[in-house]
Amino acid sequence: MNAKILVCCGSGGVGKTTTSAAMAIKAAMDGARVVVLTIDPAHRLADCLKIQSIEGAPTEVPLPGAIGFCDAVMLNIEETFAGLIRSFSTTPARAEAILANRYFQFSATRLGGVHEFMAAEKLRELATCGRYDLVVVDTPPSRHALDFLKAPDRIAQLMDGGVMRWMAMPATRSGWRALELGSEAVVKVLGKVVGRETIAEIAQFFELFRELWDGFLERSLDVQKLLRANTTRFYLISSPAPTARAEALFFLEELNKFSMPFGGFVINRVQLPLEGTADIAQLLAMIPGLDADVARQLTAMARKQTQVAERHQASIKSLRSAGPQDSRHWAVPDLGRPIDTLNDLLAISKHLPRPD
Amino acid sequence: MSLLDKRVIFVTGKGGTGKTTVAVALGLWAARNGRSTLLVECQGARHIAPLFRQASSGYTPAPLHPGLAAMSISAQEAIEDYVVQQIKVRRLYSLVFKNRVMGPFMDAVPGLHNAVHLGKIYDLSLEENSAGDPIWDLIIVDAPATGHGLHMLASAGSMMELTRAGPVYEGVKKVHELISDPSQTGLVLTCLPEELPVNETIALYTQLRKANHDVSAVVLNETIHMDLPDSASWSQIRPSIAAHPNQSISGLAELTDRWLGQLRHQREARLKLKAVIDATVLDLPMLADRRVGFSELEQLSEILAQHLSTP
Repeated sequence: MNAKILVCCGSGGVGKTTTSAAMAIKAAMDGARVVVLTIDPAHRLADCLKIQSIEGAPTEVPLPGAIGFCDAVMLNIEETFAGLIRSFSTTPARAEAILANRYFQFSATRLGGVHEFMAAEKLRELATCGRYDLVVVDTPPSRHALDFLKAPDRIAQLMDGGVMRWMAMPATRSGWRALELGSEAVVKVLGKVVGRETIAEIAQFFELFRELWDGFLERSLDVQKLLRANTTRFYLISSPAPTARAEALFFLEELNKFSMPFGGFVINRVQLPLEGTADIAQLLAMIPGLDADVARQLTAMARKQTQVAERHQASIKSLRSAGPQDSRHWAVPDLGRPIDTLNDLLAISKHLPRPD
Repeated sequence: MSLLDKRVIFVTGKGGTGKTTVAVALGLWAARNGRSTLLVECQGARHIAPLFRQASSGYTPAPLHPGLAAMSISAQEAIEDYVVQQIKVRRLYSLVFKNRVMGPFMDAVPGLHNAVHLGKIYDLSLEENSAGDPIWDLIIVDAPATGHGLHMLASAGSMMELTRAGPVYEGVKKVHELISDPSQTGLVLTCLPEELPVNETIALYTQLRKANHDVSAVVLNETIHMDLPDSASWSQIRPSIAAHPNQSISGLAELTDRWLGQLRHQREARLKLKAVIDATVLDLPMLADRRVGFSELEQLSEILAQHLSTP
């Protein structure tokens, strides 16, 4: 039985990391076996959970009183890639040859597509290992998170398309000649663009890599299936800011394009209106001993709060009206302080979606 | 040396901290000071022209305001541009790159997407008019957020390591030299006066310094400007507010606590940042939950000018 998957997406600075940590911790408190995966290059989750290092291996988040447990994992691209290569190589020696290839070393650390594919692979590994009921995924800012969705398709395309087989042919003239018409020009052009030596090294890498294709393709298809499973939910995390809202809507379109299951909107740091409708200035004036300056400051603060709260309500309304008709939303009130304690995370989790 | 004497300024920082706004405000300041300035958006983003109520021109620079133009670079267009420069024949480009199997391959070349962005910026910095003068005195890049911004800045160097020699190597080397020369290329980081963004900015700053980049300024956005009671008079009056029978008044107690707390957190975050960063740290009053209009951009650009014009 695979774990349920909750994915938090949205633009930068809207609290994806905090939201995913809060959802994960709440589910663990209530008895689920949970892991939260961050693929954000900045080490924010560790920051937020006050964990020194969560790189690579799952680390248990200390949760006094929890019925279940919550592990946290920071994606380690090299390690995940190396793990994949080791598991699909026919012999340990061939795996080590790939790992020692200079192109591999470059691509493992610097290539965007690989980064996202490894995130998807790590997600698959965690969701299928049997240790967890729930995987909560924190994603990088939205445009890159799209790569996370595209990664399996992209790798499938790469593996499926001629180019991998093509690159893996022995880099001799007869090898190149065996290619389809126009390949000479292709090699020449590529050589000019990225350098002939680079081409040779990439070719060597793909030659070694050839035996891993089928395994990789299969994996990428598994990930696609997992992401589209009916137990998977994508939540769009936003804030009342107009730019965050625009990004969330852009993202929603992409989710639809990839037929990913949309769970709803989460709007963080919402300012709530003051209770009551009394004339504040008048009431304050009647408090004995209240300094006129303080009264003025408090009145101005209350007026500002009302204005901000109205703007936030309007923002939420416009976000919802742009979403699908029956879309759900969760508004999380602003706590007015950095959320960096378990208590704060639990406090905001009351306003967040729960796994069904 | 003034920030405006650089050839290129990259604006980067944590997502949602106002990179675009700060880039535009810097551009308005530079343009006011007679610098022919180009604003560059990356990865196909087109947020700037709408701020001036204009349609985005995409890959070609288009005037926005006197002395200020903007364009948007996408990796695809920059790769095409670069490849056509290298092979001189556009027909060959189409033959190779419009080929179904080649797209994924180009995606697989490490750092290429970022490196072609830098290459285009380098080309723009060398563009001359018919009199032989540079067209752009200053190029301001609204760069990707933190981690991805770092990758972009390092991408020419990565391509150098990958290619090691040859014409490609020579090409990216020139780009790398411009980007890593502190007298020509400056960096402005954006941040919020809050704990997590400050920690991230400190980490980014440390990495940039390690790579020898010159961080000219850190801009703190959304600094709260609210006239609140000082804590002494507040603690005196708070009990009578909190105990007030009308909930509109009693509610003010918690609200004031929260805003005072926010102010304190902002102050602490700011101090933490200033303790580490050897560059101007300045505050911009900005409202995150409203769209910034042109007159606000001008005001922000004046604040930047006040803090950054003296060397």
